[in-house]
Amino acid sequence: MQVGEYQVREGLYYTKEHDWVKLEGGLCRVGISDFAQKSLHEIVYAELPKVGLRVKQMESMGTVESVKAVSDVFSPITGEVLEVNEKLSEQPELINRSPYDDGWIAVIKPEKLEEELKNLLDHNGYAKYLEELLKE
Amino acid sequence: MIDFSGFEMPLWYRGIQTECLAVRNQAGIFDVSHMGRAFIKGPDSEAFLNYLTPNDVSKLKPGKAHYSVLCNERGGVVDDVVLLRVDEDVFLLVFNAGNRGKDLKWIEAHRKGYDVDVRHVSDEVAMIAIQGPKAREVVESACRSDVSSVGRFECGNLNFNGIDCIASGTGYTGEDGLEIFVPDATLENPGSAVKVWDTLLAMGEGEGLTPCGLGARDVLRLEAGMCLYGNELKESITPFEAGIGFVVKLDKGVDFIGRKALQEQKLQGMPRIRVGVKLLERGVPRKGNSILHNGEVIGEVTSGTYSPILKCGIAMGYVKPEFREPGVKVELKIRERYVNGEVSSMPFYDVTVYGWRRIRTNHK
Repeated sequence: MQVGEYQVREGLYYTKEHDWVKLEGGLCRVGISDFAQKSLHEIVYAELPKVGLRVKQMESMGTVESVKAVSDVFSPITGEVLEVNEKLSEQPELINRSPYDDGWIAVIKPEKLEEELKNLLDHNGYAKYLEELLKE
Repeated sequence: MIDFSGFEMPLWYRGIQTECLAVRNQAGIFDVSHMGRAFIKGPDSEAFLNYLTPNDVSKLKPGKAHYSVLCNERGGVVDDVVLLRVDEDVFLLVFNAGNRGKDLKWIEAHRKGYDVDVRHVSDEVAMIAIQGPKAREVVESACRSDVSSVGRFECGNLNFNGIDCIASGTGYTGEDGLEIFVPDATLENPGSAVKVWDTLLAMGEGEGLTPCGLGARDVLRLEAGMCLYGNELKESITPFEAGIGFVVKLDKGVDFIGRKALQEQKLQGMPRIRVGVKLLERGVPRKGNSILHNGEVIGEVTSGTYSPILKCGIAMGYVKPEFREPGVKVELKIRERYVNGEVSSMPFYDVTVYGWRRIRTNHK
């Protein structure tokens, strides 16, 4: 679905910091939303978490940088980083081109998914949140 | 849009990287009306400016411009400026937006005894920069006359659609180009500036002329190795430390503010010096990052960015003078990560490929 010029992918969960999480059979793939990548514009560097790192919900697990701005990537859930998108080291612009697919950032093995999902927005909730944000 | 020294200005129009590449390969146009500008006129204007600034104003002929600074008594930089000698007794001083008030006060405080008239025109004269290898062609078609009379660090008059402007062969990108001062463009009624801007943009369309925001302006000046006041320059840093000692003419024969302190530093040596650092690994340096050599902190980054033409992180910072030589291996501490880099000469780019000198090379 679309909110203004921003795409909100259905079926994902979102943080208010514009990170997304996709449930994939017990694992969680995470990335940043279309709004986040468009706000940063022209991403030139992504600092990825290390595989094996244990991250807490809403803790910074990396950064995404454009020429002028640095933005933290917050982990939407608590767990262990199983995999990171190595392609981003050479092609950080994948996040601009494909924020919900090729531009994913990491795969996390969640520890308390059910409990923590309550702290996240579903796509409808996130779309509403974006609408409010754009009004301001 | 971002706030810059009280001015609401675009960070970018089409994208910082796109705009940077346009300036390096074709041309870019910048609204730089936020810059401070003042006319200094009168029979004592040369003598006054020669006292106010360390560069030799007696050597600046009418129709020429030079880079300079205002120094305090300690030799520290109050501001960096460009000075145009428009006529024998008419100068145009261009200074930084954030220092408008401070510079005017400074000038006022030191003009006693000099027969000069200082007219602050920042809010009635607009300023447009047009930079890049195609910049001159675009200006030529816009004003339908030869602009070769306004060469590098020269100034003169150009007419755009009936609007008489002052132009100077200066800029903040390392590229050839012009800065155009448009009269009668007040904040309430900027019509003449809009007309010149639109004329240039229309004429430049075919040449790839791109409007550029503050983001590109900062990246381009960094790639060119130019200082930004508030980052590389401040009142506790001297021109020698900043690597712009060429603006200090100790032997120009007259006294100037800061001369004694600068003379002394020339003899004593410098505690630190500005260097460029180029990253050898991925990462984007930022102001405040520590600079290390063999694990020991030797300085701090004052400006950093990602260079779209070099495709790597670049930075400027101050280090102890023994580490100033290009090639010296350093590390930057970017947040929690140590990233390998080396001291680089400035401009960071190959001057036979980019920058105003390449044009001369091509025309030889």
